[in-house]
Amino acid sequence: MTTCFKPLQRLSVVALCLFAAHGAAHADRLSDAKARGTLLCATLTANEPLGFPDPATRQIVGFDVDMCEALSKQMGLKLEHKGLSVEARVPELALGRVDVVSAAFGYTKERAEQVDFTASHYQVPIKLVVPIASGLNNINDLQDKKISAIKGSTLELFSRRALPNATVLTFQDGPAAFLALSQDKVQAMAQTMTGGIRYVNETGGKYKFADGALAWEPTALGVKKGEPTLLAAVNEALSKMEAAGTIDAIWNKWYGPQTKYNIVREKKLTPIETFK
Amino acid sequence: MNNLDFGAVLRGQYLEWLLSGAAVALALFALALLCGFALAIVLMGLRSLPGRVWEGVVAAYVAYHRNVPTLVQLFVWYFGAPQLLPKAVGGWINDHNGEFLFALVALSLNAAAYLAEDLRSGVRSIARGQNEAARALGLSYTQTMLHVVLPQAVRVAVPALINQSLILFKTTSLAMAIGVAEMTYASRQIENETYRTFETFTIATIFYIAVSFCIMLTGYWYNRRQPAR
Repeated sequence: MTTCFKPLQRLSVVALCLFAAHGAAHADRLSDAKARGTLLCATLTANEPLGFPDPATRQIVGFDVDMCEALSKQMGLKLEHKGLSVEARVPELALGRVDVVSAAFGYTKERAEQVDFTASHYQVPIKLVVPIASGLNNINDLQDKKISAIKGSTLELFSRRALPNATVLTFQDGPAAFLALSQDKVQAMAQTMTGGIRYVNETGGKYKFADGALAWEPTALGVKKGEPTLLAAVNEALSKMEAAGTIDAIWNKWYGPQTKYNIVREKKLTPIETFK
Repeated sequence: MNNLDFGAVLRGQYLEWLLSGAAVALALFALALLCGFALAIVLMGLRSLPGRVWEGVVAAYVAYHRNVPTLVQLFVWYFGAPQLLPKAVGGWINDHNGEFLFALVALSLNAAAYLAEDLRSGVRSIARGQNEAARALGLSYTQTMLHVVLPQAVRVAVPALINQSLILFKTTSLAMAIGVAEMTYASRQIENETYRTFETFTIATIFYIAVSFCIMLTGYWYNRRQPAR
């Protein structure tokens, strides 16, 4: 019997959305979450160390999951964890299936047209990987050199902006960009620190990160567009978590000195307006 | 953002990228066609040498270049060949626009295989009696080829050669995979910065159509002046 009603229900949802789009009165997501008592927080599910299955418990764990947990607690709600894929992040928010997305969500102007970003809770430095034997130690040593990057990435963009006189050669993927570096076709490879760490760790001490960063890529949480109360509540919770050292503690658990990543969280919580 | 605006793409840095992309694409095409054609004539010559060995060598060369994807051939030259070259030579090439040089080598060798086949079909269309008559008149083998056979053979082969040139011109866009900043590479780079996909690729399309059209017109003009006899 219920199946008969499904199309009708769907239709009513569509009608409701249209209604909502016209600015008619409707309960906002924050009140909905409070009434429900849970926060729907989504993370990636196969991305170490952000969100990945723990082999022992088969639960999804990771930096982003801990962020969801801490955020829910701070907001006085219970966490209802959802998994999603990289390309589903914007649609899931836009359709209102989740309250908050915590999934390596880098801020870009184009995404900001579709969803709202909270303050940036961490920034990933974009670095240059260089051969140790080259004697190039600082990114400024590569002003007039050749740099490889992945086609269509922010890495390509930031390399060209930070070093306008360098030649940026782009390749289809990370391994091809690294092959060009290993064959001395380029003198450096642009990578985020989190993405490039494997090329430094797994090549037997032949490569390192040059000092300095080409840029800092701001990563934030995403909420649905047009939900000012929810956005404000999440931002307030994040500020409190930062003040209490909670974000630092979660960062150090997954990226800190005793992990294989060993990345310092240099940039603290920053209002997203800074990057606009 | 959604309105068409070609001005946003045809200015400053972006215009520079497009112009240099066009120049690189044309240079790569012209040089590859030149080298490829010269090599095709050499391949033809080798094939007509006495003995079966050379014929086999040329057949193997043509088979490799026709049966392996051009993109793979580009990767083999760009990423593979340097491992076989002495370090000093590899370093020299890397310092002298290695991307362009390796793309030129790969595309020339590839084009040569096809052009050689087209030329061969032209030569086969010339009656064997002409060859024998020329030799009987005292012309050497080279003279026979240069003055009697090839001028007629090329005329017959021109439509096929033009076709091959068109394909070669469009194939230069594959060089973007090994970092040659030709037209497609430049377009994609601008698209990545401006998100004006339609405008950038429309400009690239117009460029490719315009040049292809010139190549076609050249063939048409040649065929009218020098029709196959």
